[in-house]
Amino acid sequence: MSSIKMFEKPLGMRDTFPQIYEKLELIRTTGRNLLKERGYEFIKTPTVEYFDTVGKASAISDATLFKLVDNQGNTLVLRPDMTTPIARVTTSKLLKEKIPQRLAYFANVFRAQQQEGGRPAEFDQMGIELIGDQSVYADAEVIMTAIDLIKAFGITSFKVTIGHAGVLSCILQDYTESAEQAGKLNKLLVKRNYVGFEEAVHAFDLPKTKSDALLAYIEEAISLPSMETIERYVRKNDALEYMQNLLRILEQAGYEQYIAFDFTLSSHMSYYTGMLFEIFATGSGFPLGNGGRYDGLLEHFGSNVGATGFGLRVDRLYEVMPKIEVENNQVLVLFAADRFAEALIQAKFLREQGKQVTFQAYEGLIDVEALKEQFEVVNEFRSKEA
Amino acid sequence: MTELTIAMPKGRIFEEAYEMLIQAGFNLPEEVEMSRKLMIEIPEEKIRFILAKPMDVPVYVEHGVADIGIAGKDVLLEQRRTVHELLDLKISECYIASAGLPNTKLSEIAPRIATKYPNIAMKYYKGIGEQVEIIELNGSIELAPMIGLADRIVDIVSTGRTLAENGLVEYEQIAEVSSRLIANPVSYRMKSERIQDLVTRLKTCVK
Repeated sequence: MSSIKMFEKPLGMRDTFPQIYEKLELIRTTGRNLLKERGYEFIKTPTVEYFDTVGKASAISDATLFKLVDNQGNTLVLRPDMTTPIARVTTSKLLKEKIPQRLAYFANVFRAQQQEGGRPAEFDQMGIELIGDQSVYADAEVIMTAIDLIKAFGITSFKVTIGHAGVLSCILQDYTESAEQAGKLNKLLVKRNYVGFEEAVHAFDLPKTKSDALLAYIEEAISLPSMETIERYVRKNDALEYMQNLLRILEQAGYEQYIAFDFTLSSHMSYYTGMLFEIFATGSGFPLGNGGRYDGLLEHFGSNVGATGFGLRVDRLYEVMPKIEVENNQVLVLFAADRFAEALIQAKFLREQGKQVTFQAYEGLIDVEALKEQFEVVNEFRSKEA
Repeated sequence: MTELTIAMPKGRIFEEAYEMLIQAGFNLPEEVEMSRKLMIEIPEEKIRFILAKPMDVPVYVEHGVADIGIAGKDVLLEQRRTVHELLDLKISECYIASAGLPNTKLSEIAPRIATKYPNIAMKYYKGIGEQVEIIELNGSIELAPMIGLADRIVDIVSTGRTLAENGLVEYEQIAEVSSRLIANPVSYRMKSERIQDLVTRLKTCVK
């Protein structure tokens, strides 16, 4: 037998120690209360799903999926996100009962990694899915809920950057000569390679008006001073009108200070057909979360009612939110054998007062003083015989 | 004004890039003491430079401990980290090429390629349909074909002098390389005004 690896864990896996656990519980409760207040119902789906059903449809790249094989030879995956399983269960069952569905989750997801630290292979995600409402109000609700949720955790320095796949593809189509060129530019934008974008535009040998427009667009669209600026580049279309509506709603609700528009925002997933957004906060080098409208994913599961939602990474949330102080309520009750009954009454009394009582016999301890040092309040029931 | 942390590669690129920042109108001291210091604070501009190994600049930027950085395209191609590539500074221009002893062909069974850039080399040979095996070295790559460790090397070429002095010839050019301004995705949003301002000002100095 090989020796056991006590300290080692599979790459990217983390232990959650008691102190952190308590803080994560607080995050979970805060989030859960806020989402329940808005009529979102929490849901749980299996940890393991079929690769063909969920793995292939997921936005997560194939290489980062944890795969296993069941006893019938089917390939299974550890769920890499929650959106795809929820899309599966709503389209197959829940939509028949109620529409629209407002669902929420707080769950661990798995992404295998072969790289350095700072990228856990298992982490908690919290988010919502609003399925069966194609109106602009559904998208506004999702963005507003994301903002309120982040604020509920005491995070003040954050930004939600919103784009629209339709606006972008309209511009790329109008100013290039072929779908191939548009696709190439889109790919560079997914990677946010602006240098590559410029080089590609020059290499395409487009008419000067087109290439100039593209280059000017890329410069302006990254940080739009106002929605009107973009209208210079795009011919009137539904996507643009949609975004103008969305902005108006968010302004009416008083959320404009938290949002910014970026019409170069693009996702590697073709499911994001409409509005999409990313959430950034000071304090973490990685985005807090993202979201958007994914009607395409629902179509993949055979439904055309539309869906929108977002997910936040709890591990990054924890990094950027103010330090959580968990109240220390712990009391140690130590007892000798002859005073067990008396000590038990005291422990019960303290628990009724809301204390967390550790009930410990002297004779079970190796070092009594060491344990006592761990507690601020100690009640001792020493032996009367001694 | 928010604080901006810039990761810079030590050595010649630092000097060239620093010169560009001065040209762009940043109020930086003419002479910086480049002794063993790893961090340089410029309180007047609220800028902090961190000096790193060229290969490490994208690491600092990806993790967000540096907001922006200056990195060679070779490093970016090799590491494929999640950073935004904002501007081609057109300094330290060179290219990546394959080289080997003159008039040689790749060996018939499992040709070997020695390189500092295993990912770039692998991608290139896959792309042209050659099955090769990669041997990773950390420096003096030119040695490999001379003593029979590898059939070809994949490395940076700027003047070609090192190759010539070691009796090697260039075979194929693989990619153009120059220094790029990169940004962390979160800093890019949260400090967008400062970063945009820097990009616009630097753009005018790019030759």
